[in-house]
Amino acid sequence: MTLFQEDLDPDSTTDVGDVTNTEEELIRECEEMWKDMEECQNKLSLIGTETLTDSNAQLSLLIMQVKCLTAELSQWQKKTPETIPLTEDVLITLGKEEFQKLRQDLEMVLSTKESKNEKLKEDLERIFNELKTKMLNIKEYKEKLLSTLGEFLEDHFPLPDRSVKKKKKNIQESSVNLITLHEMLEILINRLFDVPHDPYVKISDSFWPPYVELLLRNGIALRHPEDPTRIRLEAFHQ
Amino acid sequence: MSVLRPLDKLPGLNTATILLVGTEDALLQQLADSMLKEDCASELKVHLAKSLPLPSSVNRPRIDLIVFVVNLHSKYSLQNTEESLRHVDASFFLGKVCFLATGAGRESHCSIHRHTVVKLAHTYQSPLLYCDLEVEGFRATMAQRLVRVLQICAGHVPGVSALNLLSLLRSSEGPSLEDL
Repeated sequence: MTLFQEDLDPDSTTDVGDVTNTEEELIRECEEMWKDMEECQNKLSLIGTETLTDSNAQLSLLIMQVKCLTAELSQWQKKTPETIPLTEDVLITLGKEEFQKLRQDLEMVLSTKESKNEKLKEDLERIFNELKTKMLNIKEYKEKLLSTLGEFLEDHFPLPDRSVKKKKKNIQESSVNLITLHEMLEILINRLFDVPHDPYVKISDSFWPPYVELLLRNGIALRHPEDPTRIRLEAFHQ
Repeated sequence: MSVLRPLDKLPGLNTATILLVGTEDALLQQLADSMLKEDCASELKVHLAKSLPLPSSVNRPRIDLIVFVVNLHSKYSLQNTEESLRHVDASFFLGKVCFLATGAGRESHCSIHRHTVVKLAHTYQSPLLYCDLEVEGFRATMAQRLVRVLQICAGHVPGVSALNLLSLLRSSEGPSLEDL
């Protein structure tokens, strides 16, 4: 007995007796069916033969087909579906098979998802790197533009020469530290981006008036509609 | 009994037997070999015969499907088939008989008109298949088809009977009215 049990799946908790019972049951059913067949065969051998000629074949065959199809139809209508006896070990075996199938399907889904994940990670990596290089390029370009602007302004819009002495001693003019046009523009740009809803800057004494006029006249800066002492940068980016 | 009957004996367990009737020995042999190569859950048996009636001395299993192979190049082949048909019981024609016409590819060699075989198949209410058995590829495909049909005729496919299959295979193209 113990030897036979070892052959079975060690996980199975069914009794050895159950397995043989099911087998016997199935064999019994098969034998019954075979007996039925033998009976039918005996009945069939009593039926005579009939051959056909070209002239009567079609009609006879069509009539026969009608009869047989009708008989088959009534058989199907009478028949109820039967299964093999569902004993415990049969159910366990079927259950195991179902679970095996399920596991295989799930493993397939898992591997598909994993490979998809991998691909997404790689794509993400790649796009991230692309964006990084783009960012660097743009930053570089920005620096270049700013330095070019700075040079341009220095060359063409310098601060007034302090060495030119006026005949009249004008204390106010020389006591104030003027800022460069570059610095003025910086103040305006920064204000525009820091406080977009109020981009206005008060015209301070450090602004050299001719340059303020220059900016205003060329549409680079705009006056506050109600306050003439405040200006803002034109929103070229919008 | 010289007349072939479909259910004359009990079937062998898990066995399906096909009978190929035709004058072209080589082609029949090749078709038989192709069929036996097919993957099939049932055990296949192929019998070859030049014509019917079959010699009664031989102990043979129950025949599940008869295929009459007609060579369109040979009038003798058609004649042979027509004579053999007289030795088949009427109940065989309920889905257990098939006609196979070979040689249609070489039109110039055909001495039998296509309509003749179509009419023959229509008279006996059985499906007509076309296949150039000389061509290996076509032969293999046809072998596959015949194995499937044979399994159904032997009752190895639950839920489908030979008669069901016959109804499914019924071609809407019968011989035209002028031929009848």
